[in-house]
Amino acid sequence: MLIFTLRRLNLFIFTIFLLTLLSFSLSFLFPGDQLINISGQVNATPKQLIVLAEQYQTNNNIFQQYFAYISHLFHGDLGISMASQLSISTEIMSFLPATIELTLVALFIAMLFGIPIGFIAAINHRKATDNIILSISMIGYSIPVFWLGLLAILIFSIQLGWLPSAGQLSLLFEIEHVTGIQFIDILLSDSPYKWQAFQDASAHIFLPACVIALAPATIFVRLARTAMMDVLDSQYIRAAKAKGLSFKQIIYHHAIRNAMVHVIRDVGLQFANLVTIAMVTEVIFSWPGIGRWLIESIFQRDHTSIQGGLLVLSSFIFIVHIVIDFIYAALNPLARESRHGT
Amino acid sequence: MARDKIYLEEEFPSPLLQLWHNFKETPVVMIGFSCFIFLTILALFSPLLTPYTSVENHLDFLLLPPAWNDDGNVSFLLGTDNLGRDMLSRLMHGTSLTFGLSFVVVLISLGIGLVIGSLSALTSGIKSSFLNHFLDVILSIPSLLLAIVIVAILGPGLSNTLWAIIIVLIPQFVHITRNAVTQEFRKDYVLASRLDGASSFRILYHSVFPNILEKLISQATLAQSAAILDIAALGFLGLGAQIPMAEWGAMLKNGIDLFYIAPWTVYLPGLAILFAVVATNLVGEGMRHALKVSKEA
Repeated sequence: MLIFTLRRLNLFIFTIFLLTLLSFSLSFLFPGDQLINISGQVNATPKQLIVLAEQYQTNNNIFQQYFAYISHLFHGDLGISMASQLSISTEIMSFLPATIELTLVALFIAMLFGIPIGFIAAINHRKATDNIILSISMIGYSIPVFWLGLLAILIFSIQLGWLPSAGQLSLLFEIEHVTGIQFIDILLSDSPYKWQAFQDASAHIFLPACVIALAPATIFVRLARTAMMDVLDSQYIRAAKAKGLSFKQIIYHHAIRNAMVHVIRDVGLQFANLVTIAMVTEVIFSWPGIGRWLIESIFQRDHTSIQGGLLVLSSFIFIVHIVIDFIYAALNPLARESRHGT
Repeated sequence: MARDKIYLEEEFPSPLLQLWHNFKETPVVMIGFSCFIFLTILALFSPLLTPYTSVENHLDFLLLPPAWNDDGNVSFLLGTDNLGRDMLSRLMHGTSLTFGLSFVVVLISLGIGLVIGSLSALTSGIKSSFLNHFLDVILSIPSLLLAIVIVAILGPGLSNTLWAIIIVLIPQFVHITRNAVTQEFRKDYVLASRLDGASSFRILYHSVFPNILEKLISQATLAQSAAILDIAALGFLGLGAQIPMAEWGAMLKNGIDLFYIAPWTVYLPGLAILFAVVATNLVGEGMRHALKVSKEA
């Protein structure tokens, strides 16, 4: 386990290094002056610019510039937003938790429905149930998410009026911004209308989370189905059958556990995909998350924000990857030994 | 007297032909394949087939519902949008933008990925390890985010988003080529031609490529469905195809404001995207199934 941890740590450091390198080089690639791109000070006077140039060491060679950038990052300084002139790290801190909340709820919904349905399909392999599930899942991951979101708003928010269509929480509730994750904030607050606020927040997150969850859920269906079929084909299931265990016992005690392990390994790979879907959905549902913020930054030509957002969002995804890798390794002793490097 | 067959000859179809034999076994896949061909024909010949051009305004017929509606007009089969442009013509023109360009995008990134992947399969040690990690990093960045970054560098526009999508798709082709080539290089027939004195590049070109082509094609169909969705999503966000273009995602965006009075301007482009992606996915699924069957046989 120690070697496994070291390897992951190594990979993590390498990845973060590459990501910082990428975001550092972006400041040169974006149109406009590099110093302004990296710091976001669009209204700086010539005197301030000289101070900035000193800070970012733009007159020295490229390595010193890079190290100056890294030391800024270590101080939590991602520059200021070109559009709002606020510090980017505070902006990200206020937008990222909403995205984390949304993606985690969506991931949870996707796993909750996708994995059992995939198991059912595998158990009924080559029967009508299997075919129906497969066809539905095929349509599920072919639907463009922005279209699905619009249809969901039209049906559930406007025609039926069941769920709110935009935002994170009704404006009636005053909830203090502590962690940024709405549910935790509500539970922490001492508002007398805590439970109403909680219900309202759940109603707000339900629709966008379901829209995001659909495509990953169908992928989980397929992953779970393949994993379950592999497990059911294996020798130890045959041995269990030979011992005379009933089908139910085999499924519940042997097959599900072993199949779950394989599914969990692939959850991490799906996460980047899920965040992509979430970014589009945030725009449609006016969710105050980092995806919407980034897309708005493009229209405002806010290069510093894009640079910071890329760095933070990709590191977040990579951290989730690694966490899931650890969960997988904890569940499956075989994984700790055999994987090399990559 | 003609004697065309004297001996009972055993035929060995090429890997690609074998794939095709297995591929056409499943009826559903063939339906998907016909839809794929249909879309390809539309993409190529839409300017000749459409009743109107994609920007022609009919100011007397603004927001006309589809022909089956009571208020519809049969000369505008799928209705018109807010500027009186014929939806059917726009959708058909959109085929060449959304579907046709996704095909081009996949071909280009397949080509680039193939070159990088086979080069990296031939190298080993620190260079290949670095490349692997580098690809992992790129793969961990969400495709939309990468596209946003590239659009921020190059500026919005259809051709710029196409470059973005090409770059987004390259890593998966590098990955699959690399794995497939390393796998093939371990096999005996490669060893045989190596003993004959063939150079690595010769082996790659004459022996390995024909055998990994099927895997690449199956990956390419999957990449194409992703590319269609990406082009449409970027068009929808206003980063891709700009306003008069009949790209499906951009059409959808144009229709949002009219969603309640003219829902067909949103339904139809969405259905078109869904249709194209399902057709592509069916072909991809069929390809993967055929690959599995020929591996087991």
